[in-house]
Amino acid sequence: MSDVLDITSTFDDLSRPTDAETERAVARFLHAEARILDREAYQEWLEEFIDEDIHYWMPDMETRNRSDPRGTFRYGDTAYFDDRISELRVRIARYNEPSAWADNPATRHMHQISNIEVFETDDPKLVAACSVFTNVRNRNETDQDVVYGRREDVLRRHGNGFRLCRRRIFIVQNVLLSKNLNTFL
Amino acid sequence: MINICKSSEIPEGEMIKKEVSGLGFYALARHEGQIFVFPDKCPHAEESLTEQGWLEDGRVICGVHFAEFELETGEVHNRPIGCPNLSFFTCEDRNGDVFALINEEN
Amino acid sequence: MCQGSCQGAANRPNMQPTYPQATAFPEFAALVNREKAQVDRRVFTDEAVYRAELQQIFARAWLFIAHESQVPNPGDFIRTTMGEDDVVVVRQRDKTINAFLNSCPHRGNRVCMVDAGSKARGFICNYHGWSFGIDGKLRGTDGKVYETDEAFEKSEIGLTPVARIASYKGLVFATFDPNAPDLTDYLGDFTFYLDIMLDNDEGGTEFIGGAIRSEIDCNWKLPAENFVGDILHAFWTHQSGAQAILGGGVDLGKRYDELAFQASVYGHGIETNLDKVGNTRTLGYPELVDYVFDLSERAVERLGELRARAIGAISSATVFPNFSFLPGQNTFRVWHPRGPNKIELVSWTIVNKNAPDHIKELYRKGVMMTFSPGGVFEMDDGENWEYSTRVNHGFVTRQQPLHYALGLGTEDKSRELPGHIHKGSLNDANQRLFYTRWSEFMEHDNWSDLQNGETASPKKTNIAAE
Repeated sequence: MSDVLDITSTFDDLSRPTDAETERAVARFLHAEARILDREAYQEWLEEFIDEDIHYWMPDMETRNRSDPRGTFRYGDTAYFDDRISELRVRIARYNEPSAWADNPATRHMHQISNIEVFETDDPKLVAACSVFTNVRNRNETDQDVVYGRREDVLRRHGNGFRLCRRRIFIVQNVLLSKNLNTFL
Repeated sequence: MINICKSSEIPEGEMIKKEVSGLGFYALARHEGQIFVFPDKCPHAEESLTEQGWLEDGRVICGVHFAEFELETGEVHNRPIGCPNLSFFTCEDRNGDVFALINEEN
Repeated sequence: MCQGSCQGAANRPNMQPTYPQATAFPEFAALVNREKAQVDRRVFTDEAVYRAELQQIFARAWLFIAHESQVPNPGDFIRTTMGEDDVVVVRQRDKTINAFLNSCPHRGNRVCMVDAGSKARGFICNYHGWSFGIDGKLRGTDGKVYETDEAFEKSEIGLTPVARIASYKGLVFATFDPNAPDLTDYLGDFTFYLDIMLDNDEGGTEFIGGAIRSEIDCNWKLPAENFVGDILHAFWTHQSGAQAILGGGVDLGKRYDELAFQASVYGHGIETNLDKVGNTRTLGYPELVDYVFDLSERAVERLGELRARAIGAISSATVFPNFSFLPGQNTFRVWHPRGPNKIELVSWTIVNKNAPDHIKELYRKGVMMTFSPGGVFEMDDGENWEYSTRVNHGFVTRQQPLHYALGLGTEDKSRELPGHIHKGSLNDANQRLFYTRWSEFMEHDNWSDLQNGETASPKKTNIAAE
């Protein structure tokens, strides 16, 4: 596998699935993460699930010809998220403010995670995990925004568990069908 | 073989259009010094290759649906469905005059 | 091919482009009450008003379509909209730019299905293979079907071009009205303020690649009026964002009270606190603040002291009707109307071409952090605008008056600046003038009246860059 810590290198060699034990542990991690995010426990998310060295990237997904060398996404162009730990901290600081009006009353969240696959990498401390998600946010009476996509994660072994150190999020929307993104995917 | 025009009329990297009386319009192209002769008509929608198209990287590009014909062989790339290869005519430069074997089948 | 004297030619369809004329909707113009500083809520929800807007405003105003940097080489193109009209913007072989309706003249299908691309040779409609050059002209069809058809004359058929297209310092605008005045007349003296963003540095500007698009269920005028003059909302709406980035609330600073102003020309408006770096500071990167401080010193010669102070200041602006930007935060956006209750927001980050790469990168990240759907500022705007729109489904609710009266009588004729100047940035003056302009577009069917009404710059004897 080419440098798995390079945020721009999408997974190209997924030929070495991990053992069942590791796969179960990663699934547990991703499901627990989703549950924490549903609860909006962002500080806990940052402290228990995120590596100090995190790089969290969600590119803008364009509609392009198949033959276009630029592709449907490109690192370095405008994106929804392109965060290291300091940027994530700023976003979470806003959620902690009582004056975050778009979050009071609270949004009802549901992060559904599925299609989890876990692979070995060249570094025994790192595993690569793919998953898909459905994210539902419902506010007030009938405001419902659903975002779908796929994630490519690199998890670093940490104690008996893991920390997320790289995440690429590819949503299946070009125009974001939502007025904001008041969650993490 | 029929004399179509003077070799000096064909600039490097470009195509020109010539009428051969009784037979129609023909295109002459020069690429890396060599001269090529072919009908000035794309075999797909029959639009003029010299008026609508251009030469690029050793190919004739039709400016209508962007089929790309290799010079000499006429093999087509990037073709719209139904577009055949382009026929090229044997030709030679005889002391500055371009002659080509254009027969009535074409 | 038939030369015109046969049966087929007599019945040949006229395939010339059609540019619809504006008419007059005095009943809608009256929804803006200039004397009482009130706007009728029907402007935010009424279908008939919306349809009139598409005809009176979006079919004839100069609308932003691209930055030159998005289509640098011949064959480069982007797809965008003007109002609800789908448009392709293409760099021509002769280096000019042209734009066309993205609709095949045969059965109407889109000819360009993608957001953007480069080295296009032309556009082929996926339905019947009609093929158009990047100049919009029909090159041919599929097979030999139209060869002998008498009603078909290829040279008369093509993609409908916009009626006029022009650039101002990197920004490309287009209009569907062949009678529109020049772009610089449409912008009027507002170009003085546009230069704050577009001409503060040698080499001009460029857009960072990519665009973020999102949908908000609000009327397009709510965000447009917000950016034209509403810094007031920042204290309350954006308190959480300011706390998160700056560790404190939004603060204009008393020392700028005398400096801050609102300026409006032809409905375009800018409000600014002239505090040099207030907006840039909110992006959260100290190196950007240093860059802008430095820039504003170097820019005094180009722009004069006042405009140099405005480059990174707490400020916002809208070019009528629906193109807005934030100086210092470097976000440019269009609020595309999609019905009276919905917009598609498309936003980009603008930077100076000659800014160092690491500075451009910080702008890119700073805008993502603040003014994007996940942005700590923008996140709180959407719901305000949605509910300001939505409540008006209530029959009784939409009869209620709205208050646009902050800062009545604060016109400042002493300030030597172009346009209608009002004291302080905390004012509804620009919003009132935005709706006055809206009302002018509803009322007038001709450009002479449009360009000589209340929103035109007052006559000044001596405009000097301070």
